[in-house]
Amino acid sequence: MSEAIAQWRGFKAATRLGWKISSNWTQPLIFVIYSVLRPLSAAFILVIMYRVISGGAPGTGAYLAFLVSGVAFWSFVQYGFAGLSNGIVEDRGEYKMLKYVYTSPAHFYVYLLGRGLAQLASAAASAVIVLVVATVALRLPIHPLGVNYPLLLSASFLALLAVIGMAMAYGLLLLQAVDAHGYGELGSGVLYVISGAIFPITVLPGVLATLASLSPLVYWMELIRRSLLGSQAIRMFPALSDGDVMLRLVVTTVATLLLAHLVFTWADRQARRKGLIDMESNW
Amino acid sequence: MDIAVETKALRRVYRSRRQEVVALDGIDLQVRRGERFGVLGPNGAGKTTLIKILVTLLLPSSGEAFVDGLDVIRQFREVRHRIAMVSGGENVGFGMLKVREQLWMFSQFYGMPSAQVRRHIAELLERLGLSEAADRRVSALSSGMRQKMNLIRGLITNPRILFLDEPTVALDVGAARDVRDEVRRWMAEDPSRTVILTTHYMMEADELCDRVAIVNRGRIVAQGTPAELKQQVQQDAIVDLQLSPGNRLLDALRAVDGVAAASVSEQDGIDRFSLHLSSDAALSGVMRVVEGSGRQIRGVQKREPTLEDAFVKLVGRGMAEEEQA
Repeated sequence: MSEAIAQWRGFKAATRLGWKISSNWTQPLIFVIYSVLRPLSAAFILVIMYRVISGGAPGTGAYLAFLVSGVAFWSFVQYGFAGLSNGIVEDRGEYKMLKYVYTSPAHFYVYLLGRGLAQLASAAASAVIVLVVATVALRLPIHPLGVNYPLLLSASFLALLAVIGMAMAYGLLLLQAVDAHGYGELGSGVLYVISGAIFPITVLPGVLATLASLSPLVYWMELIRRSLLGSQAIRMFPALSDGDVMLRLVVTTVATLLLAHLVFTWADRQARRKGLIDMESNW
Repeated sequence: MDIAVETKALRRVYRSRRQEVVALDGIDLQVRRGERFGVLGPNGAGKTTLIKILVTLLLPSSGEAFVDGLDVIRQFREVRHRIAMVSGGENVGFGMLKVREQLWMFSQFYGMPSAQVRRHIAELLERLGLSEAADRRVSALSSGMRQKMNLIRGLITNPRILFLDEPTVALDVGAARDVRDEVRRWMAEDPSRTVILTTHYMMEADELCDRVAIVNRGRIVAQGTPAELKQQVQQDAIVDLQLSPGNRLLDALRAVDGVAAASVSEQDGIDRFSLHLSSDAALSGVMRVVEGSGRQIRGVQKREPTLEDAFVKLVGRGMAEEEQA
């Protein structure tokens, strides 16, 4: 049996496990209702806040589209990053299975990738729901036939690689903590602020704005809006063409993956050195 | 000699800001292929640390360890293709999965073909009395059933070397027997398979293992077949003395001339002393100490030596005392 086939089987099983864990906690109908209501409520809270603050002043529609598109696609980071990094500590603390997965021949990367992929499937559903409902209810200028799908999909593919890489490295780092509850959300919360999901990064203080410009998420958000809204999109980088933004996304994604690999390798070594894989934690 | 597992001067130190604990202190071990090898010792002796290093979960502080001829530090990925580990006393499992599904899923992490493994899972579930629970969620299983399921998880992947870390701890008598029977049967199926078992149940090691290493405070204090280890105390007279509760007596008994070793455990309100006497004549000295203590004698009997006696002789104290220390 070739190693590739064996790893593929492990990957499929990990994906199935990830899906079961994220969906099997309740009845299917309740899960569907939850999956629809959760992203919608998160998006509409922001929309209502924005409406109240702006008072429906003229010219605010463009920012509403900026906000909704950012929030819709943010679910990929939220589910992917928090879900995957929490999943690692959950496998250790709640199910006590991490050590068995870790000592199996399935490459730990492959397992985590599969485990995270299921989260991204939930995120995709969430993004579509928010976009469709918001486009209809708020009359956003998104036209299905006018969307630049190649740009949207290629940018999203790169960004999701970066998200998974960051989540794996972060999840391994979380193994250091005896009480690791909520750190996944903390990490995704920090990314939320510096990713340009809800406001342009130019409004951030200097250091944070510089930090944000090193993140692939910012360029991804920019390309999402350009592909969805075309010329009506508020641009965070008006001086850059689509190609320039894509180039920045590629470079920052590669850099993020390299950094994530280094952190992951270091954290993995630390985990074996300190015996963290099966450490008793306050789950 | 075909060696399945070997360690050389294996040492592991746990360091924290406040203290340093030496869990393994220079372990030299050779386990032959096809052996059921027991690592016996009290809680905290270093048994689990040894297993964790061998299954690539933990790095040693120094020394070397080889599994199936592979270095567990440098060749850990290759090692993982050849081993499986089962730990007892844990409420493990992805609770939302069904038993059959969880077992299948694990076989996939080992890259096994589905059709073949499904048949194997059904057979093992049947043999361990879990067939009716096969489609139940893992979260609905009793702890004993989970432990059996965990053993099946280890067996279905057909490892060359199976590591069992306290596999029967907290199991009832029947379930523990089922587990031991299955391990024996699994070994009999293929003579090249090897089992390394940690336990602090002397009876289990005696019954199940071809050879045993007695570990205490991170060191191997003796190793050999159970019969060889018991031989070490064969020349002693082993006397069990049951006394009513009272003042501490163990040190006074140990000081009696002719008492080679002594240990005590409490059971049902009675103190049970196990005495190793170098000659029967030492018993009169023991009785004088007991009379002087004011305790009542509830029973005295001479018996054949066990592994527990070998442990007491080698360490100077019983397992329970070592755990408290």
